[in-house]
Amino acid sequence: MNQPPATLPEGLDDALQLLGRAVRRARGEYREDEWGFDREFAESVFPALELLFDRWWRVEVEGISNLPGQGRTLIVANHSGTIFPFDALMIGTAIRRLHPHPRWTRALVLDWVFELPFVSYLMRRLGGVPADPANLSRLLDEDELVMVFPEGAKGFGKPFSERYRTQRFGRGGFIAEALRSGTPIVPVSVVGAEETYPKLGEIALLARLTGAPYFPFTPTFPLLGPLGLVPLPSRWRIAFLEPLDLSAYPPEAAEDPGLVFDLAERVRETVQGGIYRGLVERGPAFG
Amino acid sequence: MPGLTGRVLIAGVTTHWGRELAAALVGREGVEVVGLDPDRSGFDVPGVRFVEADLRSPSVTSVIAEVDPDLVVHCGILWYPEHGEPSRTLHDVNVIGTLNLLAGCEGVAGLRAVVVRSSSAIYGTSPSRPIFFTEEMAGELPLVTRFQRDVGELEGYVEGFARRRPEVTCCLLRFQPEVGPGLDSPLVRYLSLPVVPVQLGFDPLLQLLHPADATGALVRAVEGPLPGPVNVSPDGSISLSRLLRLTGRIPLPLPPIVSDIAARRLGGILHTADMYRDARLLLRYGRGCDNRRLKRELGYRLAFDSEGTARDLARRRHGREVPVATVTAGVVAV
Repeated sequence: MNQPPATLPEGLDDALQLLGRAVRRARGEYREDEWGFDREFAESVFPALELLFDRWWRVEVEGISNLPGQGRTLIVANHSGTIFPFDALMIGTAIRRLHPHPRWTRALVLDWVFELPFVSYLMRRLGGVPADPANLSRLLDEDELVMVFPEGAKGFGKPFSERYRTQRFGRGGFIAEALRSGTPIVPVSVVGAEETYPKLGEIALLARLTGAPYFPFTPTFPLLGPLGLVPLPSRWRIAFLEPLDLSAYPPEAAEDPGLVFDLAERVRETVQGGIYRGLVERGPAFG
Repeated sequence: MPGLTGRVLIAGVTTHWGRELAAALVGREGVEVVGLDPDRSGFDVPGVRFVEADLRSPSVTSVIAEVDPDLVVHCGILWYPEHGEPSRTLHDVNVIGTLNLLAGCEGVAGLRAVVVRSSSAIYGTSPSRPIFFTEEMAGELPLVTRFQRDVGELEGYVEGFARRRPEVTCCLLRFQPEVGPGLDSPLVRYLSLPVVPVQLGFDPLLQLLHPADATGALVRAVEGPLPGPVNVSPDGSISLSRLLRLTGRIPLPLPPIVSDIAARRLGGILHTADMYRDARLLLRYGRGCDNRRLKRELGYRLAFDSEGTARDLARRRHGREVPVATVTAGVVAV
């Protein structure tokens, strides 16, 4: 006669834990911070991001130690991706996985995104915040790690033929905020995201109908429908570059448009330099 | 406690907040409370001298001069149109009422302070604006809805009065929506529906002010008013979806066109003229306010954060709260 098992089989145990969590969440028993970031939800999608990081894009990371382990920090990166901001998610994944002091990253997101049904609260739960100087200022005052993409939609939606050429870095608002709050800037260059959805052109009519800044077409989208939304498995390389220490400047320096512009340009050049090196080191995008 | 003495005139004393304030001030040494509203029937706070007058009528100015208050508190601003009343009433009460009140204050030589219970609706709500509005952001943004314009206008009158009478401290308290078991407002009624219609694909981030904090901050401002606007908002935020889960309500997501029609029907159920535009926008995009001025300058200590307010609502409604651990353990033990 067999003894009854002392513990539940592993699969059943996991399933019950998952069920328990689902019940707890259904009763509202989870945490949200004042920005609507839901840590437990972010943790639950993390394995999927890790899979993309390791297997799909085989991301190589360089210079992770350039990122401070604590305190207010501003990551400034180049932007691309056309359809989904996987570059932001992969930078965040790199920090969670590889940094000796892993922490969650807040990303400033084009505010148009927050008008979209479903996407808006998905973004928020994962740490997205509408790109507004007041939001950036408050996040930095709360000593958060914030990620900005100053190229905005111009970088995100540029045609494939212009890949890896950084666009103008906005009006340098991020520099002004960093100066005011005494935040170090870590420039980050991302290579590989440009090939996930190569943008071949735009469908102006659909952009007008949806109110989107642009409506792209890629070799697979919208031709293959939802299947066309599967990103191409390019090889990635993310470099965390030498931090830019602004502590030598007084907070009033934020009021000097000339200085702000110069510093923004310096960050852009650093990121662009990182992209060129990354392209050489990565080699061909596919294979 | 700062030395609050003298005669306090509470305009809109029969509103929930006017009554709360009157009850908190009555019986304090050296404080005389005078209440002003068109109709005293049903008003039950003893020790308040009641003056029957309608803020909408210009004759109220001489009534105020006659009362000769040291401090004027305006609690008569309405957030939403009552059922069956045209939204025009809202404009009359809020804008014309404030104008007449201030006109009356012009004639009071010994006036020390004016405290106005205003609304955070002045900031509006939209996805492309800051998550947390600071007090100085009110003027920078276009006023979209009618109520927002009204609040902007009446605050403008108060600021004008403050410029003309620099010796009078004019304090504008911008309240976030209050939610609590003892309250009766369209938002509370909305959250009490067994099935709560929500806008499909949107989950607003809200700040809910506990009634105890709403009264507490109002009393604090009357005791030691600050010049200019102060946001009265709690710490933290809560999403509508989590709020409904905590309070045990079932959300019913409706697509845009259906939800607009439903909002109009709902307006009837909730005894509001209709779920007016401010509420619809609020329940789509949410709104947050920065409360540093409230905490640091006005020196008010909040008792509840947004989550605490939601939990208090849930607790008092259900009578008791089932500990999570019990439920989880129960599920695992099955």
